[in-house]
Amino acid sequence: MFKRKSENKRSEDKKPHSLNVDDLKKELETAIGDCSDLNFRTINKNGKKIVYCFLSSLIDKTSFDEFLLSPVQQSTQNEWTTESLAQILPIAELSVANQLKEVVSSLIEGKSYIYIDGEPYGILANVGSTVERSLEKAETESLVYGPKISFTESLIGNLNIIRSNLKDPQLCMEDITIGKRVKTPGKLVYVKDIADEENVNTFRQRVTDLEYDYIPDTTVLGQLIEDNSWTIFPQIMSTELPDRVTLSLMRGRVAVLMDRSPSAIYGPTPFLSFFESTEDVYMRWNMGFFLRMLRIISIFLSVLLTPAYVAVLTYHYEVIPSALLISLGQSRANVPFPPVLEAILLEFVIELLREAGARLPTKVGQTMGIVGGIVIGQAAVQAGFTSNILIIIIALSALGSFTSPSYLMGTAIRMVRFPIIILAGIWGGIGIMFSFCFILVHLLRLTTIGRPYLTPIYPFRWKDLGYSIIKFPTQYLSYRPLTNRPVDKQLFPKHKGVEKKDVDE
Amino acid sequence: MKINVQPKEGLLVNAFLVMFFIHSVQTGVGIVGLPRIVYIAAKHDAWISVFLGGLFSAFVLAMIVLMLKKYESADLYGIQVDVFGKWLGNALNVFYMMYMTISFFVILMNYIEIIQVWIFPEMPTWQISLALILLTIYAVNGGIRIIVGVAFMSVLGTLWMVFILVVPMQYADPKNLLPLLNTDLKHIINGVYKTSLSLMGFELLMFLYPYVKDKKKIFMYTQIANLYTTVFFTAVTMVCITFFAENGLARTIWPVLSMFKIVRLPNLERFEFIAVSFWMLVILPNMCAYLWAASKGFNRIINWKQKKGIWIIGILVWGGSFFIKARYQMNELSDFVAHLGFLSAFCYPVLLSMLVLVKKWFLRRKKSSAEAS
Repeated sequence: MFKRKSENKRSEDKKPHSLNVDDLKKELETAIGDCSDLNFRTINKNGKKIVYCFLSSLIDKTSFDEFLLSPVQQSTQNEWTTESLAQILPIAELSVANQLKEVVSSLIEGKSYIYIDGEPYGILANVGSTVERSLEKAETESLVYGPKISFTESLIGNLNIIRSNLKDPQLCMEDITIGKRVKTPGKLVYVKDIADEENVNTFRQRVTDLEYDYIPDTTVLGQLIEDNSWTIFPQIMSTELPDRVTLSLMRGRVAVLMDRSPSAIYGPTPFLSFFESTEDVYMRWNMGFFLRMLRIISIFLSVLLTPAYVAVLTYHYEVIPSALLISLGQSRANVPFPPVLEAILLEFVIELLREAGARLPTKVGQTMGIVGGIVIGQAAVQAGFTSNILIIIIALSALGSFTSPSYLMGTAIRMVRFPIIILAGIWGGIGIMFSFCFILVHLLRLTTIGRPYLTPIYPFRWKDLGYSIIKFPTQYLSYRPLTNRPVDKQLFPKHKGVEKKDVDE
Repeated sequence: MKINVQPKEGLLVNAFLVMFFIHSVQTGVGIVGLPRIVYIAAKHDAWISVFLGGLFSAFVLAMIVLMLKKYESADLYGIQVDVFGKWLGNALNVFYMMYMTISFFVILMNYIEIIQVWIFPEMPTWQISLALILLTIYAVNGGIRIIVGVAFMSVLGTLWMVFILVVPMQYADPKNLLPLLNTDLKHIINGVYKTSLSLMGFELLMFLYPYVKDKKKIFMYTQIANLYTTVFFTAVTMVCITFFAENGLARTIWPVLSMFKIVRLPNLERFEFIAVSFWMLVILPNMCAYLWAASKGFNRIINWKQKKGIWIIGILVWGGSFFIKARYQMNELSDFVAHLGFLSAFCYPVLLSMLVLVKKWFLRRKKSSAEAS
């Protein structure tokens, strides 16, 4: 019985709409007419009725009038068939359809359906207009050097930017639909002879196998196709800067873009690539190297300083040099809490300030920053709430965690600090080491799109060190990073990079 | 039970990383007490004993690699079943599993004892042992790639400790080493025997072998690792002999940690807190490797899932940590494991490799005579 029922449903799906114009109008109205702005425009030509169906909020009125209505009204043909109609319409994207479901979904996408009475097929013409903003500066990722435009919500505009940046004939932009119920159009972008086949297949398979209702943004898509959703560390990078995407594409990564989303995701991204900013690439190699070292050290210190303070002051006061001991003792003498509580309280206040500052309008935000930072800090010390040294340490660690170029990684670093502080309060120095060992094992276990998370450190790829931690001068980087297993490995012939001339040659 | 283990392509480890694995498994808790133990046996020629011990372990490593090369890709469990038959081989396998569980236990308890003596005298043993065991279980559940990764990161992360050796050398008195070769051979051999507890660990190569990618290079990398460990231990012993007074070294239970006490940084006074905390990173690959190899037995012998075996051994060891309460119990246990380890890790592989060579030669002769006739 069930089998027959499903067969019935399938044949229902494949039924074309009625061939009579009035019946077609009634069918469309039952399908979507009640709660949408469905409109019809009927023209009589040589006794035949031609009906235009469209959703008036989605079409571009001028192109509709100019390109769909007026050619038909002014034409002097006698025979009106679908083919002859397609010949006179000056639209670039035309397709034919006759299934009711297809017509309805195309109407929702912004196309207009033109049907001549009695014909077996009708024409779908794309005259949709979308509301979008013009190119602007990037907001969440700001650079000092380099191109500053960011992606916008229109997929076509974003693809335009990437194609203009990367005029490579091997650049491949595959169509994929994202979401099951609301089918958002998306593009899988990669360079065909650089990206590894396996990476591309994994991406394609993961996105198309998703059975999710509605995916609002590429960051949500990234969360859904990640390897491990329990960890705090991100495994797919999301960015709104086009030059970051093009740089990764040329290194062998795969990117996914989605309509209505101003950011792109790309992978596979190992751990150290989250500390890379495009500035390191645009600056000279010594500056890039210095900046990257500075960033890594500051992030490491920001995780380590507050727990070290807690551990040392609770259990290991012998470690403090005698010169510092007196001032530390003095400032701690006023505080009624144990160092753990003090540190957690103050970290919590900093997180509050940061979160509140993100929500306030810009004019008020600046004042709140100054008020929160200076006044509350000073008042807290004078009230005996915390000690001076802790305020300095916490401010330094907060600054350190903001140097991370990726917002996701910066949040992860901030989250990681809390359990380490608690463990330092329970077990002192052993607790800090224990949590470091745990984070090390955890990072080793993570994978990003099937590749190990800690390349090029482990598994050790000697040649890739020049891209991630250290930055070699460009003449020594003649190979693309091996971690993405690119097919075309060379950037430039190696001997040209290191040619040396003799004296007075 | 299959003799050869054929793991999937994605689980294989580079031969280069075997070097780090062997070195980190050899360097564990043994080294902190090593100079004193050898000094009691061989006096101021202790460094010669350590060096000879290293040469001996290099020889044993060579025999192990020779034995492993005779098979396509077998580990110790498979080799014992192949050489001794099903029942005796499996009995020996179970015995080896128990030896590795006890080694795991001894490493853990030694480190907890160090923590209890140097940093937290009142910390209950079961708390920290529970935490360490859970961390080890988490790491081992990730597989052999994770364990070799932990070994690699541990060697990198503790490389700086090698350079700290320079600080005691400023106060060293080289005359403590003279007169050279004053002790007789018997004492030096005794010293070599005492060194063996600290150099143990390379027998885990017999379990790692099926998971290595290019097996031809294993010989070179394991010898390099052993050489580095030997040189490092010899240097540490020499510095200890020249730094401490003659009677002092015999009474300092953990000379290496005591040498850390004299390091002075501008804003850190007592350095040994950091050293003892870092020691956790040194012993973590040891514990993970032993637990992994022991629980692999569950998978190979009885065909249980390895995860079940990991949890069983973990709970057993945690239960065992309640029973060691005094220093003398720890001493007895360490001596027992040292003796057991000398037999299982040094003598037995040499014996086994000779048996394997004989067997393979026999089989080849039989096959060639069968082909000739």
